[in-house]
Amino acid sequence: MDMLLEALASLLTFESVLTVLVGVSAGLFIGSMPGLTATMALAVLLPFTFSMEALQGLMALGGVYMGSIYGGAFTAILINTPGTPSSIATTFDGYPMARQGRAYEAIAAATIASVAGGIIGVIFLLVLAPPLARWAVAFGPSEMFWVAMLGLTLVASLSSDSLLKGLLGGCIGIMLSTIGVSPVGGETRFIFDYPPLQGGIELIVALIGLFVIPELLTMAAEGRGALPGQTELRKKEVSIISIARHIFIKPVNLIRSCLIGQIIAIIPGAGGNVTSLVAYNEARRFSSDPKSFGKGNVDGVVASESSNNVMVAGSMVPLLTLGIPGAPPDAIILGVLLMHGLRPGLDLFTESGVLTNGFILSMGMAALLLLPVGLLGGRLIHRVVIRTPYYFLVPSIAMVTILGTFALRNSLLDVGIMLILGTAGYFLRLIGIQPAPIVLGLILGGIAEEGYVQTLMAAVVDPIPWLRLLHNPLSMVLAGMVVLGAATTLVPMWLARKGLLDRVDEDDGRSP
Amino acid sequence: MKFTYKKLALAMTAVAAVGLAGAAHAEYPEEDITYIIPFDPGGESDVTARFQEPVLEEELGVSVNVTHRPGGGGAVAWSEFQNSAEPDGYEIIGVNIPHIIGQPIQRSNAGYETDDWRIVTFFHSTPNALIVHNDSPYDTLEDLIEDARENPEAITLGGSGTYSANHLDMLRFEKEADIDLTYIPFSGTGPLKGALEGGHVGGIFNYTMLGTEMADSVKVLAVASEERVKALPEAPTFKEQGYDIVGGAYRGVAVPEGTPDEVVETLEAAFAEANRQIAEKQEPLGFVMESITGDEIDEVIGMLRDAYGPILEDAE
Amino acid sequence: MILRLNTDIAAGTVGLVFAAVLWLPREEMGRLSIIFPRAILVLLCLIAVALIVKGVIRPSGRQVEITGSPRRLFTVIAGFFLWWGLVEVLGFLVTTLVAFFSLTWYLARVETRVTWQRLLKWTPVILGLVIVFYLTFKEVLNVRLPTGLLF
Repeated sequence: MDMLLEALASLLTFESVLTVLVGVSAGLFIGSMPGLTATMALAVLLPFTFSMEALQGLMALGGVYMGSIYGGAFTAILINTPGTPSSIATTFDGYPMARQGRAYEAIAAATIASVAGGIIGVIFLLVLAPPLARWAVAFGPSEMFWVAMLGLTLVASLSSDSLLKGLLGGCIGIMLSTIGVSPVGGETRFIFDYPPLQGGIELIVALIGLFVIPELLTMAAEGRGALPGQTELRKKEVSIISIARHIFIKPVNLIRSCLIGQIIAIIPGAGGNVTSLVAYNEARRFSSDPKSFGKGNVDGVVASESSNNVMVAGSMVPLLTLGIPGAPPDAIILGVLLMHGLRPGLDLFTESGVLTNGFILSMGMAALLLLPVGLLGGRLIHRVVIRTPYYFLVPSIAMVTILGTFALRNSLLDVGIMLILGTAGYFLRLIGIQPAPIVLGLILGGIAEEGYVQTLMAAVVDPIPWLRLLHNPLSMVLAGMVVLGAATTLVPMWLARKGLLDRVDEDDGRSP
Repeated sequence: MKFTYKKLALAMTAVAAVGLAGAAHAEYPEEDITYIIPFDPGGESDVTARFQEPVLEEELGVSVNVTHRPGGGGAVAWSEFQNSAEPDGYEIIGVNIPHIIGQPIQRSNAGYETDDWRIVTFFHSTPNALIVHNDSPYDTLEDLIEDARENPEAITLGGSGTYSANHLDMLRFEKEADIDLTYIPFSGTGPLKGALEGGHVGGIFNYTMLGTEMADSVKVLAVASEERVKALPEAPTFKEQGYDIVGGAYRGVAVPEGTPDEVVETLEAAFAEANRQIAEKQEPLGFVMESITGDEIDEVIGMLRDAYGPILEDAE
Repeated sequence: MILRLNTDIAAGTVGLVFAAVLWLPREEMGRLSIIFPRAILVLLCLIAVALIVKGVIRPSGRQVEITGSPRRLFTVIAGFFLWWGLVEVLGFLVTTLVAFFSLTWYLARVETRVTWQRLLKWTPVILGLVIVFYLTFKEVLNVRLPTGLLF
């Protein structure tokens, strides 16, 4: 407790607050650019922290991390483009809200949810880190395989009009993930004898392509912006307080999303890319009005954004206790810790406890600072996007997209892949194959493959190798959840088709 | 067509550069230097480059920009570098053994050759180490070997990547000790730590760094270096225990073929100085500082190629 | 523009074509590398066939709608690819300035005629925007943007 107070004292200086504030703002800017990820934000900032003391450096990095994960929500809401993979689910309801002229309401809800999520994550980390760490390492290859499968059951609920088309999209995504060097085996696959393809299709490149380009093409073809102009907007302005009231009066959604975020963040490798999708899915499953999801339900935004900000501190649990980075950006934080001679482990919470607690608390402070920075920045970006005529908006977004995609791996080929996938994505959307299942397949394909093949390799001496997939209670529970998850989505669909339930069908065009 | 054109251009610039070397490069370096890291930010190569950056800048008097070009386990950046970098010393790239030996043998078209550049220096190495968890029944290497004799293939050892330094030396160990183990590749050191902590593998064949990072919870049974590593004075080498296995990952830096000698010498000196200054930070982490230059580079590559080549070709 | 198209059959065909592209040129691969992609490819084909069958028996959507002008759609697609292709030749800065100007001009024509005065008025805005982003990426984020003949 003394350490906590001491750490708190060291935080409440002008210099510290300023460090975090600058970190959050920088992260916000980078995170809101499609293509510039939290990992990249941290890598760019890294050299600046060399000259700082250990705590100050970590505080700056924590701020950047928090800011960049949150920043992804802006573009998700305003131009249907997740700035970071962790805000994919924010687009599902955030963008429809923006199209209805409720963009600022969505941004405010995202901000409040992010602040709450960030702070709850910090509390989890402070209180529960050591016990939670045991849970993190419980996930071996076979468990990871089931986690990926569990994620893939989301395809069913992400494909609003046709399950088969959703599954097809998922399979296409998984196949795209296998291009390049195989994770187990080390050989090159599907590169058509073209060495640069060894790099494979980077998730973010596909993400930008599939989400941004179709949006730009639609804007260009229709010859108008996607968001309503200013006059329409005035009528629908909602006060921040009423949004906060909506979120906190019935906090079930928030609490559920935060718990999901925390549980998934700890599983190394799955990370923030899936947390928001799972939280979104559960919010819809338990909602009294699931049909309104995907059409501008603010609860969808809250679920997605609160869960992904819990992940920031949540993924630090395996990092600080065991040195296992829970999400890619954590690898950089690990580098900084090691550079300052800090070895992850229990020592970090005892011997250098002041520093560790200071770092954790600074993330809480960063979350709090999201509120003013986010609300002000959000209003500003919103105005800019709405006031800019579409003929400026299309080339501007295209430029940022090209820059961001290029910067990701310094690769012009990636820009080409992005454009090809984007153009394909536009036409696939026309025939009912949505981008979300494809991206989900791309995220989870690698995880599923690695887990599956590693499990089978370890089982060479077993008489029936694939039984290894169910060799302990945790993997059996996970497998059970996969079956259950699939059943709870499929059975109502089937019942609906038989006419035993009110139609849950969301596609209005289907029944003549 | 494009490829041959580029090759031609490269050859021509190389000739031009050699011809002009005396005059033009008298004052190398004059412009900023780009230092390409062919891996993701946050990895060992990246962190080392960040350590080196300030020292290099001071030594060379120009700014050194670290950029990343990840993909294909380094192969994307390496093939691009060999095809298009100018031999003027303003573009340098990190190179790793055994990656640059293994990939061209193993892949049908890795896009680059092991020798198609000039390696300036290898500045450090990270020897392989056989590590088990504290709860493991094995206290010594002999314990593990005995168990492996009784239960062939039943012991699983995790490592980073397929036909990586970890994998290749584990295969050598199998041969030397005449046992059968099961190797399970993971995608990097992060997941490996989890697999070891969670008991998903019997042990890991990884680098010495993991032994120091996880010192509280693991036992290092053997290290694949000539002498004991400074950061792990308690851990015996394979050699001490009668198995001739010395190997691991070497990290270094290369310039395109045809780069003038003076440029290479200048860079060599700057990297040596960087090594001197960052040694006290890196050695406790388990790195072994090296200064492999000139002919020694060919020796090291030759030695490892002889050791790994047959294993890789067997696998084909 | 509204096209008559059975979307189920179309989606199934896309799936089959995609699978064929990856299936036919399969390189020599070890068992460990191919086991997973092959399983997914088989699954992909099954789903695609199921979609085609469903499309024949009980089609869902029979038409697709391209909102807005198809001509503008294809011109902009071509524009994007040209933008990408020229970056390698002309360098990022020059290409982006040219592409930005042309796209703005082309898209603004939808509403009203674009006069020379308007184009002139845009110049400082576009120049400023492109150069700010160019410098931010080049100097602050240390990205090596492609350079061409001039920059």
